[in-house]
Amino acid sequence: MKLLLVTSVDPWKRSVSSAHKWVEAGRVLGHEVAVYGEQHPDLPALPFTTDLSDVDIALFVVQVTADFPDMPYLARLLDGIPRERRVVVDLWGRFNDTIRLEHDFNHLEKLDGHLGWEWEDALGAVSGAILQPTLAPLRPNVRSFLFHGYDPISVVRPYRSAREAAAAWRAAGPAEKPYGVAYVGGNWQRWEQVRRFLEGYRPVRREVGRICLTGWHWDKRPDWAVQKGLMGVDTDPSLLAELDVEVRDGVRFDEVVGVTGKARFAPVFHRPLFRHLGFVTNRTFETFCADSLPVLMLPRDFVAALYGEAAVKLVPGDDLAGHLTDAMDRPEPYWDAVLQTRSHLARYHSFAQRFQELRALTAERAPSGAVR
Amino acid sequence: MNILFVMKHRGNAGNTHAVANYMRVAPRYGHTVAMYGDPQPHLPHLKFSTDVRAFDRVAYLFESELYRIKPLREVALLATIPKRHRLIFDMDGMYNPVIELDGYDSNHCSETERARWIEYYDSLADRVAKPTLAPPNNQRVRAMIFYGYDPILEVDPASAPPKQYDILHVGHNWWRWREVAGSLLPAFRQIRDQVGEIGFIGAWWDKPPEEGPAAGPEEAFRSDPEVFRQLRIRTEAAVVYTDVVRTMSAARINIFTQRPVLHHLKHLTLKWFEIFYADTVPLLMLDEDLAVAVYGEAARELVLPGRVAQKLLDALRRPDHYRGVVEDVRRHLAAHYSYDRRFEELVAAMRN
Repeated sequence: MKLLLVTSVDPWKRSVSSAHKWVEAGRVLGHEVAVYGEQHPDLPALPFTTDLSDVDIALFVVQVTADFPDMPYLARLLDGIPRERRVVVDLWGRFNDTIRLEHDFNHLEKLDGHLGWEWEDALGAVSGAILQPTLAPLRPNVRSFLFHGYDPISVVRPYRSAREAAAAWRAAGPAEKPYGVAYVGGNWQRWEQVRRFLEGYRPVRREVGRICLTGWHWDKRPDWAVQKGLMGVDTDPSLLAELDVEVRDGVRFDEVVGVTGKARFAPVFHRPLFRHLGFVTNRTFETFCADSLPVLMLPRDFVAALYGEAAVKLVPGDDLAGHLTDAMDRPEPYWDAVLQTRSHLARYHSFAQRFQELRALTAERAPSGAVR
Repeated sequence: MNILFVMKHRGNAGNTHAVANYMRVAPRYGHTVAMYGDPQPHLPHLKFSTDVRAFDRVAYLFESELYRIKPLREVALLATIPKRHRLIFDMDGMYNPVIELDGYDSNHCSETERARWIEYYDSLADRVAKPTLAPPNNQRVRAMIFYGYDPILEVDPASAPPKQYDILHVGHNWWRWREVAGSLLPAFRQIRDQVGEIGFIGAWWDKPPEEGPAAGPEEAFRSDPEVFRQLRIRTEAAVVYTDVVRTMSAARINIFTQRPVLHHLKHLTLKWFEIFYADTVPLLMLDEDLAVAVYGEAARELVLPGRVAQKLLDALRRPDHYRGVVEDVRRHLAAHYSYDRRFEELVAAMRN
């Protein structure tokens, strides 16, 4: 299959890691995968192309307006690849009615200049196949396709047993694990959850160790958010100082797993919109590659459906402090849950699986033989 | 056929007026024409639409900037109407080699800039139409005059406004100054005491655009308010397209100038036609051959270059004679430039 990813890629944000995984997995499986456009100097491992000949599927990976190429590339793309071979994966829930949750949203004109109908028109015009990274899309004409996936090869320390993992985890010294908790991700629609996490962690912070937040805008609300009146990038510097939280700027996509593994625990947060829609992100899977115990700050039924039943053990529920101290005291059952979950993810959420799903989804609508 | 025009919404621009005429004529032939965008309160007579699925053809009209609609709207439009059903109107001669006239007006400021335009056009549409009398210089190009003449819009002298001016120029100061300063102002100085009010109505005669360099080269907006003051020339702000003809009718003589690069390319603009709707005597700063090619033989009498002062005085002194000349030109325009004919050409171009 010749698969063209149409999206903007930035070494520091959004889905650049998944784009790399699609390319790597494609190579192993005998598929040709490239990103549409000119080569990005900071992403040498990612092939780019403007050659539209023989493209089987153009997968429009849509998060922000910039994921559509600018002219003249846009016209060449839309005129060069017939609509039947175009597929949209709507990673941020744009192809829905307008949703407002807490401070989160799927459309906001004052942020990107576009109204809900404009998103709907654009995505619907590009393709008749709209996919969303959720197990249960809200709209009947949208299909489930998670896009992101789990790459077992990227697991930093693939332990053979929970006992081995727990022992290594206990033995890790301050040089190896300088933090108790590490979260890598920008402060975008996550503050309320992080704040609740901090409050839950407060009673056990001495035992667990310091928290490090790695990503943009944790230290202060950025000026652009103040000017636009956006509360989704709120923060509380005094609370962070009181709990001695270390704040660091964001890291490149290829440093995320390593930085996450610098702590004993790695929480997984999904922004309110994504929780509502049941969306996954790259970090949903990538966190399980780090040498850290994931703390799934997600609904239990979602966790069971996505990660498998074993992963429910990694959901702290209302007693975060109890969860963390129990894991500190008895790490083996938690690592057992991690290893079982890794197996589940490898089986059901690998990128090879994603290729099969994409092929099946496109085969449903394409004439036979359209996709090689 | 349902045709959507993508163009800048400028109520005081000739192209808007022309498209308004296409909107008016289209239903007679079972077609629809609209302009892309949300309804504009200041342009209540124009039909706007953002429902791209209601259209099957799109005409992009570019002047001296690559007008773009919002990114997601552009995606929807390009994904809905394919390249073979898109047509570009190249109104300011950008789809040409770099042309620079005497170190003054030019279509592009550099080869790099030109390459950007050509790449953009070539990706957007298969065909480019130019409102010119010149034969096409490229197989992708076709000459389409675009503008038309509708006798019903001629102003009846009985209903014309009082003649406030003896001499008037209606149009923006966009690459006009060299001709105005070089030919018109010396003639005005020569005969100033023999004529009444002189006026220039349009943008940028007093000062350049407030946007600064983003609006275009400084030279394009050059003016000299002090010379205007010395010659007792009044300036007034631009008027919306619906008021252009009536405004022109407030003068005994209207002077027609054209941007040099467009004159060089033999491009026509709406002003070529609407000046003959007005109850006035149009006097033309045009090459005689070009004027005759468009307006017919009678137009020789209205051409100004080389005899500006003499012609202005003659037209003021013999209005009946010149009114007859204008009538001859109007008959020629009515016979050859109806919007019905223009619209047929548009539909034919869109069908190809």
